[in-house]
Amino acid sequence: MSDTRRDFHDQLQELEEATLSTLELTSGALDQAIEAVLNRDGELAVMVIDNDDRIDGRYLDVHQGVLSLLARQAPVASDLRLVAAVLHTIRHVERIGDLCVNIAKLVPLMGEPPDGADEIIAKLLAAGNQARDQIRQAGVAFRQRNLNLAENLVSEDDVIDRLNRLVFREAVEIGSDEHARQWGAHVMLIARYIERIGDNTVDIGEQIAFVVSGQFREFTDASHSDVANSEL
Amino acid sequence: MTPGLKEPMARPTTTTPGGRMRESKMKPVPVPEHRARSVKLEHLSAFYGDHPAVRGVTLEFRPNDVTAIIGPSGCGKSTLVRCVNRMHEEIPGSRVEGTVTLDDEDIYAPGADPVAVRAAVGMVFQKANPFPTMSVFDNVAAGLRLTGRKGRDLGARVESALRSAGLWDEVKDGLGRAGSALSGGQQQRLCIARAIAVEPEVILMDEPCSALDPQATLRIEELIGDLKGRYTIAIVTHNMQQAARVADSTAFMLNGELVEFAPTDKIFTNPGDKRTEDYVTGRFG
Repeated sequence: MSDTRRDFHDQLQELEEATLSTLELTSGALDQAIEAVLNRDGELAVMVIDNDDRIDGRYLDVHQGVLSLLARQAPVASDLRLVAAVLHTIRHVERIGDLCVNIAKLVPLMGEPPDGADEIIAKLLAAGNQARDQIRQAGVAFRQRNLNLAENLVSEDDVIDRLNRLVFREAVEIGSDEHARQWGAHVMLIARYIERIGDNTVDIGEQIAFVVSGQFREFTDASHSDVANSEL
Repeated sequence: MTPGLKEPMARPTTTTPGGRMRESKMKPVPVPEHRARSVKLEHLSAFYGDHPAVRGVTLEFRPNDVTAIIGPSGCGKSTLVRCVNRMHEEIPGSRVEGTVTLDDEDIYAPGADPVAVRAAVGMVFQKANPFPTMSVFDNVAAGLRLTGRKGRDLGARVESALRSAGLWDEVKDGLGRAGSALSGGQQQRLCIARAIAVEPEVILMDEPCSALDPQATLRIEELIGDLKGRYTIAIVTHNMQQAARVADSTAFMLNGELVEFAPTDKIFTNPGDKRTEDYVTGRFG
């Protein structure tokens, strides 16, 4: 088959590639942010914060590129769906980058973990690893236009949701002194940020499903979920 | 079969108490509101000699809708619309199979008058074709005169048609000028005025903007949007963005066959057939 709009399709492919390579940057940022928390590594945390400028720059580039394609190429059908999905996805990628920054900014505030923190730290590490795996899974699903892999992000994300709830329960009982309470509040925030990163990967999965099927649907409906098991 | 498609066109006219003019043999009859009519094509095939240009197409132009017909050159889209007002048969060696109905009237039924069909189904062509020696006024009045519907209110009818075509304000002070002296976009709107002056129920447009600049094109597109409230409109276009802008439904044809007929939104966001997808995204070779 000949492609009579080759330049346009090349540009669209470049925008997709820029988006997915930026998504890969966030998985590295998340690993570093979690490592900085676990090792109380302020320098690494600063690096995560500084490197987010790169992610933000990519976001602006893709955003501008999408606007240019819409204005100049009038994409339709699967091209239009991909353009829309790229615009949504780069926004989610930018948000993931910001959430990594949020985690990194807590590092200098946390200090030594109080007694009994090991279980919580292990759960934070598990949640971080799970979120990183979901970021990678979203990237693979996007490249492969793999609907099953995209939909599977929902059940994968349940792991993070459960860890988030456990961290909350354990953190509120970590201790009564001021430092322990502050540390507990900070880990709650970190768990929450990781949980939000997981949600963003599910949202990217929804965009993949839209590209593949042409139908947009939310995989989960947060406003009608079971209150007892709802996210915090 | 309504009388309109069978009976001679040149007949006495009268005006009803409501002021509308229509044909009548003896006395005024109640005049229905002008309404668009459904055009249904069923298993329509059109031939040039032995060559089938249109192959078994079934689709409907819905009343008060704009239906766009898109497809590559030679796909049969112009031939298709020319079957709807019986112009295809004017070409020597051509023939049509299948049925075309205007509401429930078969326009190819024995005894159906092609001239009456063309009065009910107006057509606007790719190149604006005003009668070159006629004035603006006479161009619009020509159809009325040909169909015997001239009368004391001829001027009012011409004005009404020119207003409906969005041309009145530009020509009202020069109705005696030659139609061919107007700009390309104005000439095309003059042809639209000429088509709607005889109050058709359906308007077919075959690439009506392909010879116009972008501004004139947008004026025609705006006009199409205005006219669809009163007419059934089908537009053949090579300009897919034009189809996307003006049409409620879009039909994609390929090699004489109807590949897909769906709401325009669907055709341009999530077409159901890969051939449509390939064509609208430019991957068609």
